[in-house]
Amino acid sequence: MTPVSKWAPACLVLLRTLIGWHFLYEGYFKLIQPAWSAAGAPLPPWSAAGFLRAASGPLAGAFHRMAEPPWISIVDVAIPVALAVIGVWLMLGLFTQWAAAGALLLLLTFYVAAVPTTGEPELRSEGAYLIVNKTLIEAGAVLVVLLSRTGRIAGLDRLLSKRAPIARESGAAA
Amino acid sequence: MNLTPTQREQGRRNFMKALAGTPALAALAVTSYFRGPVKGGPLRVGFIGTGGQGRALLGVAMPPFVDVRALCDINPAQLKLADAILEKNTLPVPRHYSDWKEMLAKEDLEAVIMAPPLFMHADLAVACLDAGKHVLCEKMMAWDVAGCERMRDAAIRNKRVLEIGYQRFYSPLYTAANDGILQRGLLGEVYHARLAWHRNGNWRRQGAPPSPDYDPSAWGYPTFEHLLNWRLYKKYSRGLFAELGSHLLSIASWVFGAGPEAVYASGGVYRFKDGRESADHVYGTFEYPGGRTAVFSSIESNAFDNYYEMFFGTKGTLILSAEQEAFLFEEGSEGAPTTVAIAAAGPGPVLESTETQPGNRPTDPRAASAATQRFERRTSTKLEIERFAAAVRTGQPLACGPDRAMISARACIRATESLEQRARLAI
Repeated sequence: MTPVSKWAPACLVLLRTLIGWHFLYEGYFKLIQPAWSAAGAPLPPWSAAGFLRAASGPLAGAFHRMAEPPWISIVDVAIPVALAVIGVWLMLGLFTQWAAAGALLLLLTFYVAAVPTTGEPELRSEGAYLIVNKTLIEAGAVLVVLLSRTGRIAGLDRLLSKRAPIARESGAAA
Repeated sequence: MNLTPTQREQGRRNFMKALAGTPALAALAVTSYFRGPVKGGPLRVGFIGTGGQGRALLGVAMPPFVDVRALCDINPAQLKLADAILEKNTLPVPRHYSDWKEMLAKEDLEAVIMAPPLFMHADLAVACLDAGKHVLCEKMMAWDVAGCERMRDAAIRNKRVLEIGYQRFYSPLYTAANDGILQRGLLGEVYHARLAWHRNGNWRRQGAPPSPDYDPSAWGYPTFEHLLNWRLYKKYSRGLFAELGSHLLSIASWVFGAGPEAVYASGGVYRFKDGRESADHVYGTFEYPGGRTAVFSSIESNAFDNYYEMFFGTKGTLILSAEQEAFLFEEGSEGAPTTVAIAAAGPGPVLESTETQPGNRPTDPRAASAATQRFERRTSTKLEIERFAAAVRTGQPLACGPDRAMISARACIRATESLEQRARLAI
């Protein structure tokens, strides 16, 4: 009996799609700002400056420098575009390995900039975290996606690949 | 409407008690529903008409809701006063125009906020809408019914937002009163509304032309005096019914859920026989469907009553006083009025004297509350502009809108005709 459920490949694709949507929407929402909420409240233009200035940890100095000109104007465009592109690729299963690697890099960067060290609930956060927060968990999920080569289970990568999809290979092995 | 302090306190409590635990209190906050955000920054607006009311709107037209890009007025003195308001709010002073067509052509505007004399409303609003601009036009909607219809049709044709400046529809106090008291039937059957707007002063403005050789004839005013006091002449104005009455009539029609079907009005120039054509005392009886009647009076010889809407029902009485307070009395109980204090605590910026907020406060027995009252009205006007910008950006519904504004415009136009003809007229 195989230790992995036959649903595992489908679940891995689902996981990739969920993470993809999260990245895509985070990027999209930042890109459309300034915007208006459905209730009619104006939302100011998005900037990473606040997050970067609040950065802590060993790389804090580098993050703080990125919060200032001329870097911030690049960061404010690059981050949302990267999020949206990675999101689309993950959802479509296109360039999946590159997308997953990029997602992992971004998530680890976000995590390192703000490692939860107090273990107490913080402002604008819905839980209490010590060392492990949802960003790190999402990074772990991306690592699973990265190592599972899910683009070959389902995704446009299958069109690009000359090799047979993993599902059929594993099916043949069973 | 004369209440003792005890009655005021009781009525105020009654009002809040009646609202407690009902969804009406939720109306005091902005309601929302599930939908994603919409792209866009502040609404880029130009102002046409920077007189008293235009400046009242300008004073609350703030980022991040709106970005005032241009001001247009044929009187440079008014533009200077408008600049002062923007400077006071530490906002940049935009470009000036005397020709609105030039402003529309040269500026990258999405919307126009306009407060010109009444007879200009329709032509200006239609031109702006046809130019693809959204329009917030000060009340009354237009000088005649045909003008109102042209405005509404232009908004529909161009798929643009058209709002008319009845700020009461944006007042949390009025929303709470209508949703929480009136529409819930707490007053029983309401057959009568009394609407009053009483002032003690000359409506005539005093002022010198911006320069000795200033000639407003190119804009249709034979003299500067006509431009300054356009409210007093029939060619430009519909007098007290339009400038004051339409506010209150719009509320009565909102509460009754219909427009009046007939009007009988009287009045005349009784006190200020200085060549003006607009009556300084007007009285109108408006007949609504179902045997309901609203009686409106506006006089310029006594300010004791100030201004209010009163609704008399078989089970109770509701008084909405000066856009600031609400009192509720149960029928049969001695002295039971209410005030919901919406006005912010602490000193607020004081609105300058405008059309409906004349500078004759010292003669008003309730002058002590003037500062708070002005703050409250300013808040409604601010909400009106914010909701207009939100309507453009997100498609959020307007609180008034052209159809509702037309009901009171039609009624007030007919009322001035009834006054002149001394006849009961169908509306």
